[in-house]
Amino acid sequence: MGKFNQLIGNHKFNMYIFAIFRYNGAYFIKKGCVMKNIILSSAAVAVLFFAGCSSNKPVVDETNKDSASTQFTQPVEEVAPVQDQGMSDSTVKSDSNEMTMANLENSMLSVYFDFDKYVIRQDMKSSVTKDADMAKADASAYSIKLEGNCDEWGSDEYNFALGLKRAQAVKTELVNEGVDAKRISMVSYGKSAPVCNEKTKECWQKNRRVDFKLLP
Amino acid sequence: MRIFFSLFFFITVVFGADATIEVVKKVDSLPTIGVEDSSVSYDDVFKTRFFKALVSDLNVLSLFNVDRHNYITHYDESRVVVENKDKDYVLRYKLYEGDNQALTVDMKIIKNSNVVMNKSYKIQNSKLSVFVSHAIAYDVNKFMGAEPVDWMKKKILLARLVSPQQSEIVISDYTLAFSQKIVSGGLNVFPKWANKEQTAFYYTSLSGKKPSLKKVDIKTAKVENILSSDGMIVCSDVSLDSKKLLVTMAPEGQPDIYMYDVDTKKTTRLTTYSGIDVNGQFMKDNKIAFVSNRLGYPNIFSKVIGEKGVEQLVYYGKSNSSCSAHNEYIVYKSRESNDNFSDNTFNLHLISTETDFIRRLTATGMNEFPRFSQDGDAILFIKNYMEQSSIGIIRLKFNKNYLFPLSYGKIQSIDW
Repeated sequence: MGKFNQLIGNHKFNMYIFAIFRYNGAYFIKKGCVMKNIILSSAAVAVLFFAGCSSNKPVVDETNKDSASTQFTQPVEEVAPVQDQGMSDSTVKSDSNEMTMANLENSMLSVYFDFDKYVIRQDMKSSVTKDADMAKADASAYSIKLEGNCDEWGSDEYNFALGLKRAQAVKTELVNEGVDAKRISMVSYGKSAPVCNEKTKECWQKNRRVDFKLLP
Repeated sequence: MRIFFSLFFFITVVFGADATIEVVKKVDSLPTIGVEDSSVSYDDVFKTRFFKALVSDLNVLSLFNVDRHNYITHYDESRVVVENKDKDYVLRYKLYEGDNQALTVDMKIIKNSNVVMNKSYKIQNSKLSVFVSHAIAYDVNKFMGAEPVDWMKKKILLARLVSPQQSEIVISDYTLAFSQKIVSGGLNVFPKWANKEQTAFYYTSLSGKKPSLKKVDIKTAKVENILSSDGMIVCSDVSLDSKKLLVTMAPEGQPDIYMYDVDTKKTTRLTTYSGIDVNGQFMKDNKIAFVSNRLGYPNIFSKVIGEKGVEQLVYYGKSNSSCSAHNEYIVYKSRESNDNFSDNTFNLHLISTETDFIRRLTATGMNEFPRFSQDGDAILFIKNYMEQSSIGIIRLKFNKNYLFPLSYGKIQSIDW
């Protein structure tokens, strides 16, 4: 067995195409090769897979002129992926509830940080206090998700951890102000959720922040 | 005289294989190679693309001075083209449509008017032609007796940011000439191959209520939830036997490194510092390397699994925020300038835990996310420069860097 097989792996890749769709609030995968429905908990994938399907025929051949011909397989196949539409955390809600929640969310103040720092600045403390007051009063019926973000300098794990430590700093402050810790969850998006894309210090400053999201 | 030769021999043996020592100039001694195209089927665009891919692959081998001119000749012509008559080697190939319309490539290497190697390749889907080019280069490398370039046959996994909170996970060849979306929709980052056979991979999904680590088996199409954590979760490294993972997660909001046992599904916390500990990498002797800000800025440390002590590995650079380890070697990203936002900001450096040498591997732009190949022969990394996102390959032994630009989006993370 020849080098090309080693080169691209020893797997016989045919194709499955998966369409993800939503039905009665649950997500399903429809497999293009063999029909099969799988409930997905978070419905995050629109996937093309290579696995044995209808044909066992290898698709790539390598023939060494000095020896008997050898058969090989192909690594990947060109097919447009299926886009997943259902990506939100939200479950079914009434319109008015959604409006109230969206309004409250918009009025909560983002907390900004210095470069490579996760200590809450003095000038940001009043914002956190206002957020805590709102969390305890008007928004008391909702859970709070703190989203930590960073500027564009680095896409590594450290940057994600920095975003998380920023969210944790805000959480600690909110808890100190009397918000129940059980209501608060956190996520870090690193640099992948910028609000500003210009190459200026002011812009990077806007991206080093913690945002508030309300969840039912 | 004997002492001199003994000393010379000693230095050669001791330092000859140290990758932190830079090869300064070796180009003049390389043999020359010309490439002759004898294709009979396919349009000019396709033929040109294949020619360029092959020339690029031969170049990356770092064994030849490659002539980039596209010379046309007949495959069975006994003489090489005039421009190639002084070349040490001539690679001649012919693309044609074989049985069942399969793309077929005949290839031979001519040296001193003699055919010293020939081979034929066939692939059903002509869109995968770049893999034939890689296969030819791989075989030429083997024919020349050079050290194996197994990484050339590896598939690359990369996460590409396409808009805020939207990314795609893509499988491609190492030059990005071929790429296929595997996961799209939502924010999915940090893909990591689950084994060296590349039959499955882990990735972080940030689209659910909690960040979660998932595993996709690309043969059975099975998606498995592995772990989830408040705040963040990333699979940083997979052990050579695929049985252990180093995972950064934060169940209590505190990012630390954990080891996950694939068989028992048990998780063990390896670091306990109250700041940031991330990016765990398996090293030899039951050690891990990792990034921590325990000195007030991100830097590279190591520790023995199960023991408390921590050793600082890097004493250069003000901000060293990612690393990759291979045996005694560590490649890390370092912020070069005192100005946080100057142009020449991040470079990659190589150190050995057994010597004091530091070798800078890149010179311009923002270079990050280094990843050693499994044999340690090459380093894959992300380069962002002038709004262009590329993947780069560093051939350590040859002191050469190669860049392959991404057509759209920005690369968030890579693995091979």
